[in-house]
Amino acid sequence: MIDAESLRLAYVFAVDLLAFLGVYLIVNLTLELEYGKAGIPNFGKVLSVAGGAFVAGAVPGRVLASAYNMFSGAEGITNPTIAECVRGLAPQKPAILTRMDYIEDNVVIATCIQSGVLSVDPLLSTGVLVMTLLLAAAVGAVLGLVASYPALRLREDYLAMTLLAFGEFLTAIGYYNREIIGGTLGIQVIDPFSWVGGGARFAVATLTIVLVAVLVALYVRSVGRSPFGRVLRAMRDQELAAEVLGKDTVSYKRTVLMISSAIAAIAGALWAFYSGGIIATAFDRVTWTFLPWVMVVLGGAGNYLGVALGTGVYWSARKLIDQYKFVIEPVLPFSIIWFDRLAFGVLLIVLLIVRPRGLIPEKPTYALKKSTVRRIVESLKTK
Amino acid sequence: MLDPLARDAVIYASTLSMLSLGLTLTYMTTRVPNFAHGSLATIGSYALLTFTSVLNWNAYYSIPAAITLSGGAAVAFYLLALRPLIRRGASFVHQMIATIAYELVLLASLNIYADVLSRTFRVTSRDVLLRRFDVQIQGFGPGVLLASILMVAVTLTLLLLLLHKTRFGVAMRASIENPTLAGALGVNVQLVYLFSWFLAGGLAGASGVLLGLWYQQDPAFGSRMLVSVFASSILGGLSSIYGAVLGGYVVGLLEIYGIFLASRVWPWILPYRIIFPLLIMSVTLLIFPRGLAGVQLSSLLARFRRSGGSVEV
Repeated sequence: MIDAESLRLAYVFAVDLLAFLGVYLIVNLTLELEYGKAGIPNFGKVLSVAGGAFVAGAVPGRVLASAYNMFSGAEGITNPTIAECVRGLAPQKPAILTRMDYIEDNVVIATCIQSGVLSVDPLLSTGVLVMTLLLAAAVGAVLGLVASYPALRLREDYLAMTLLAFGEFLTAIGYYNREIIGGTLGIQVIDPFSWVGGGARFAVATLTIVLVAVLVALYVRSVGRSPFGRVLRAMRDQELAAEVLGKDTVSYKRTVLMISSAIAAIAGALWAFYSGGIIATAFDRVTWTFLPWVMVVLGGAGNYLGVALGTGVYWSARKLIDQYKFVIEPVLPFSIIWFDRLAFGVLLIVLLIVRPRGLIPEKPTYALKKSTVRRIVESLKTK
Repeated sequence: MLDPLARDAVIYASTLSMLSLGLTLTYMTTRVPNFAHGSLATIGSYALLTFTSVLNWNAYYSIPAAITLSGGAAVAFYLLALRPLIRRGASFVHQMIATIAYELVLLASLNIYADVLSRTFRVTSRDVLLRRFDVQIQGFGPGVLLASILMVAVTLTLLLLLLHKTRFGVAMRASIENPTLAGALGVNVQLVYLFSWFLAGGLAGASGVLLGLWYQQDPAFGSRMLVSVFASSILGGLSSIYGAVLGGYVVGLLEIYGIFLASRVWPWILPYRIIFPLLIMSVTLLIFPRGLAGVQLSSLLARFRRSGGSVEV
């Protein structure tokens, strides 16, 4: 029964699913850090994700294009392959021979940089990728600092409303100002994975995302066990007590928001690179704020394994629905793509009522190894 | 007789103030900001679309249906999700997440309904303008303009009478002030909460009908208005229904006129209308966090008189 074609389909499905899982795992883990550990209800997650994605869309392409002097037309281009590529595309649009604009001639610039340098230079590609991720992290940290301003001053309810309202600020700017990421038309993002070539490109991109996700998971796990994480949980459970014990909760909250926003921005940038093009409308509050909340609360906040499970359950279900929609859709009078949000919305409400701590509830973490604690308890008993 | 900009401003600000009233009312009673409030209005808009495009009935007949549907949706959320959560002592954030989950349910349902309308009934159900179904009042303008003013006037009059002249209104105010004490004195607090949610949903539904008669509709329209609704409610202080109405008018009028005036100086600013509610929200939270309701007019006046004409803050 298993032939080459179905194997190929399964492979494509797995690569795609893993990419979604990886990106959302990173975003959800940052939410886990903010809400699960520190108790800050960040309902403006989309802000930092959009920030990172906008960096990936707006910065590396511009930097490379200006490095190869592409903006002043085909004649001034320093790299012969890129110049040839631009001349090759000139019959369709003669203006690019004399002058190019990053947004207007975005497709020409992205295509020629890709075929001219990135696809033949893995080192440069990786450098561009790493530098962009670092820049995205820096932008994310600044956005986190901005978000920390209300977070330090407002009560939970006011904070939630404020962060939600400000969350879509960047999205609106990115949509209406075409200079940043192409406005209503979106933008093609340069591809730092094009040197891989062919179908393996997506596999390598996915692998990169998964690698970053694993690193972030390890980091969140270690934070959970570190003194820093203990302070965060103390602050979450009893802020006054943490302050009485001499912990500066203001600076802890600020640090958490900056770190998690920086990581979320990295996820946004990775997402932009993976998908190869972005448009501001893709960064709405349902996709990048509400869905992460659904996954985190579903799996169990305060516990990185729970978050991973929540992410896995949601995306497996959604991608399976996507995969088989051609089977289901003809018999339905509506598009099946809405079904996952309907089902998970209902599921989440039920879960909040019957199992509020999620599928895998937070467990107490021990300062010492469990076996060591047990040995001490045993020794106390024998005395 | 109003110019187009003023029409737009009145219709927008009136509906915004009714949405803000609803959000504030449910916040005052059950202490949770309802993130799904915008989509409750969209239910009204789709009731309007169904009445006009599918059933070919008068647009205004859809108002009772919209009030019932949106009010019912709000009550269903309160009964099936929020009340069990509150009874189980769910955390505040969990209650907010429940409203987020409900927002997902509503958005998905509205999209599914829009799909059904377009596939089964062959009716354009997205990015659709329904102004042609409105009545024109001779020498005045579109019916929706009068309807939006009437909606605010009738709602405020009835609420004022209800809250100050009836036993249920007194019970309602008591339940908002101190639910435990009110309950101990024999007030049916549950009924008050239920009524608040129905009223909030119903007003959202009616606003949705009027918004649908004026603006281009899609399943996320109400959801997009949520930022402005939050800004109006915070400006109103989240503790007074009159503050909420006033906040709605201030934010609505400032959004429409502010962006119009600003665009005369800086034409590029036109699309960034979202700046105005965000700015109002920030200024409110920074300068008078208790909102308009927290501003003591009498003490300000007293100070004004004492200082002989100049206000010192």
